[in-house]
Amino acid sequence: MSPLFMTLLLVVGLGIFARTMYQRILLLMALEPTDRFNRIKDRLKNMVVIALGQKRLVGRKKERASGIMHALIFWGFCVLLIRSITLYGEGYVHGFQLPLLGESSILGYLYIFLKDIMEGVVLIMVIWAFYRRLVVKPPRLHNTWEAYLVLGMIGVLMISDLLYDGARFNLITSYGNPGDLHFFNNPTFGQEFVWTPVTILAGNVISGFSATGMERVMGLMFWIHIITQLTFLNFLPLGKHFHVITSLPNVFLKSLDYPHEKIKLLDLEDESVWEDETLGVNHLHQLNWKQGLDLYTCTECGRCKEVCPTYVTDKPLNLHDFNDTLKAELYANADNLILRAKLAKTLTGDEEADAKTKEKIAVFKPEKALVGDVIALDTLWACTTCRACEQVCPVTIEHVPRIIAMRQGQTLMQGEYPEELNTAFKGLERNGNPWGIGYDKRADWAEGLDVKLMADHPDAEYLLWVGCAGSFDDRTQKVSKALVKILKAADVDFAILGTEEKCTGDFARRSGNEMMYQMMATENIEVLNGYSVKKIIAACPHCLNTLKHDYPQMGGHYEVVHHSDFINQLIADGKIRVNKSLAGALTYHDPCYLGRYNDIYDAPRNVLNTLSSQGLNELPRHGTESFCCGAGGGRMWMEETIGSRINVERSREIVDEKADTVAVGCPFCLTMIEDGMKELDKDEQVKTRDIAELVAEHLA
Amino acid sequence: MKILTTVKKVVDVELNIHVENGAILEKGLQYVINAWDENAVEAAVQLKESHKADTTLVSMGSGDNTDIIRKCYAMGIDNAIHIDDPNLAKADSPTFARVLQKVFEAGEYDLVITGKQAQDTDAGQAGIMLAEFLDIPCVSNVIEIKVTDESHIQVSRLGDEGTEIVDLTLPAVVTVSDGINEPRLPAMRGIMMAKKKKINVMDLAGLGTSFEDVGGTDPKSEIVEFMAMEKRKGGQKFEGDPAEITAKVVDLLVNEAKVL
Repeated sequence: MSPLFMTLLLVVGLGIFARTMYQRILLLMALEPTDRFNRIKDRLKNMVVIALGQKRLVGRKKERASGIMHALIFWGFCVLLIRSITLYGEGYVHGFQLPLLGESSILGYLYIFLKDIMEGVVLIMVIWAFYRRLVVKPPRLHNTWEAYLVLGMIGVLMISDLLYDGARFNLITSYGNPGDLHFFNNPTFGQEFVWTPVTILAGNVISGFSATGMERVMGLMFWIHIITQLTFLNFLPLGKHFHVITSLPNVFLKSLDYPHEKIKLLDLEDESVWEDETLGVNHLHQLNWKQGLDLYTCTECGRCKEVCPTYVTDKPLNLHDFNDTLKAELYANADNLILRAKLAKTLTGDEEADAKTKEKIAVFKPEKALVGDVIALDTLWACTTCRACEQVCPVTIEHVPRIIAMRQGQTLMQGEYPEELNTAFKGLERNGNPWGIGYDKRADWAEGLDVKLMADHPDAEYLLWVGCAGSFDDRTQKVSKALVKILKAADVDFAILGTEEKCTGDFARRSGNEMMYQMMATENIEVLNGYSVKKIIAACPHCLNTLKHDYPQMGGHYEVVHHSDFINQLIADGKIRVNKSLAGALTYHDPCYLGRYNDIYDAPRNVLNTLSSQGLNELPRHGTESFCCGAGGGRMWMEETIGSRINVERSREIVDEKADTVAVGCPFCLTMIEDGMKELDKDEQVKTRDIAELVAEHLA
Repeated sequence: MKILTTVKKVVDVELNIHVENGAILEKGLQYVINAWDENAVEAAVQLKESHKADTTLVSMGSGDNTDIIRKCYAMGIDNAIHIDDPNLAKADSPTFARVLQKVFEAGEYDLVITGKQAQDTDAGQAGIMLAEFLDIPCVSNVIEIKVTDESHIQVSRLGDEGTEIVDLTLPAVVTVSDGINEPRLPAMRGIMMAKKKKINVMDLAGLGTSFEDVGGTDPKSEIVEFMAMEKRKGGQKFEGDPAEITAKVVDLLVNEAKVL
């Protein structure tokens, strides 16, 4: 075509793109460090399955159709990348072919066939996407001009390429190939156009042009395609379509093992962190670079808010806006953040020498307070940390750790947190439980049950971790008693800590009160390690999660199992036998910290299926997409004053499913759902029971 | 404005308290700030924030009170004095009031804020006696303090018939009820920073007095013995036909309980 024009376009197009990307990368490098480059093999696997395989788009039953649509556009783009290189080459070399993908190889033919079909498919998908946005209008979608513009550009890319090839086809087959155009021709595989049905169709559409007209169309389409592509490339980093570039790395760099980045174990003894306000996230620069990349990658698809228990009950937390606002703030302060990071690198650790640098750094403080101005307090405190958002996010954005880090900043540095938490924190401080009931009453529930204490039976095989609710809450004490009955029936060698047990600190940690958490964790770990505890049965998913995933950070390593999992094993091993006599419609509410945090979905279901004569009915929102009861992330101890109540919303769903019994596996869920039923005046009709209670009642 | 506020370290009454041979068993007990004193500290800190008051805290007793004083520092108190004297272990309210009088006179305060009583003895005497000894006005059971001007405050007290509004000329003593505020849980940063602050610890001699001077050797009251409270017996529950139950209950009230 025209090497000069192509060079000009490439220099301008790629030059601007490189500059934008350089700035974006510099900005990420100005943020806090985090290690995400270990275990490359596992990371590649995630990238192949989740990003390239579009797992969360195609795999989600609820939105499979639109998921497939997106996947096809994405896969189409991947296929077309190779074609683009050929076109750029065509700008310089007449009939440019890529090695292995030229006319001498079957691969070349297979590729042009695939490319041809995919262009047609992508075009249809784009039309469908337009229809969806303009007519169907799914509520989760943000209908912005950007979305239409990008869809339009994709459409133009497909049409221009098809018409370019179509015009080429017409010139070669109908006009005797006046420009001596190149086309694939191989004695074995035949002519190029035998392999490109969509191109022939496009050629037919424009068959009315004369030879000269056809040549013009071909040239025009070529350059439109190239210019659109370079414009598209430069447009990507400016908006939500940055995900086209960042999704793959973002998924590659996602957290491994634990579903999101573990809460950072803060060094609270270091005096400088209190003076320099470096605990938690109070300022933009305290985000780590992966959190920055998460913000770059948000596709604004709105899946997160659609499944968010706070958003659907009209609370101000809208994760789409949360991300978008943070991203805008990050961009608005990009230059300052980069300069700040440069200066911060020159800090020597010497107090006097650093004083001046610190003064200079202070100048770069953004005008707006991160929490308060950019993110409203009510927004930050609304989150129940249920992870429904993370579970559906197609690009694996980790929302919750960022929220907790910001809460840490508020609680530790600013002393700003919902007032109601005071009572619970005080209770923890004095008596090791959020209710503040005397610690010496912790084992009162077990009176007369002949439950051994670790102090008297330190060699017990299992420690039964009762938890605060199981110890102090009247309703949950019944669950503890039921569990004891089961363990005794199975002849399990277990003991409890009694008054030596304290709250694990889960809610304190997730409310940002790392100090209180560490206090609880230190004391608990000391006791647990003192008894050389190895195996723990936890009757609360929050305790389970903290014991299993948080305590190792502080030297507590235990094999922790949830009681539903343990009971399931007891039944499987024949250590207890149950009657399949649980009558009525039975359903199960997945606790977030059991399911989404610890991937335990089957064990409770197995147990319930063994009990129920009718089998288990699933709720519409179940399994990985279960709906939170509203009590996680410290919300159990905060008032719910905005919007409707999450527990009532969930209870209504259970009532609508005509359940007679709803089984749970978490004391918070038990309280919340039972309260929700009372609120709906359905507590007589629908019984909320812990799995342990149901099993204990049906022991054979 | 200079404010003096007092805190007492008391047994955590949330716990089961066991008594043996007339004395409380120490095992398993834990000590906390008297809850009403926490309200007093919060009230003082709020006045500090709204009217730039200078706040001093005083605690008394035998033994270390560092933990509770640090907490008050973390809440925002400026200075702290701890009168640590073995003689004060079993002192009565008038003695404590006399010690407070000495502290007050040494510091020339405008306002004393104390909790309305202590959770352990529930006496509610020290603050009122202090005012008497100093011959300055006192209002008890206060639920609101408003600063009128440099030398006047207006307080609301919860009386038997309703809220009473009282204008006070400073210096004065107010004892506060829990309705006055919700004591803050100190910011973690405050807690860490409070570790560095100095506590002015002295015995009675350091305060320029003696146990005899403050009336300790001639106590007006004395704790003779502790007794465990009798456990409440469980009630009886009746189920069935209302008419039958009513007859049964009336019968029990008349013949067994003999209250009718």
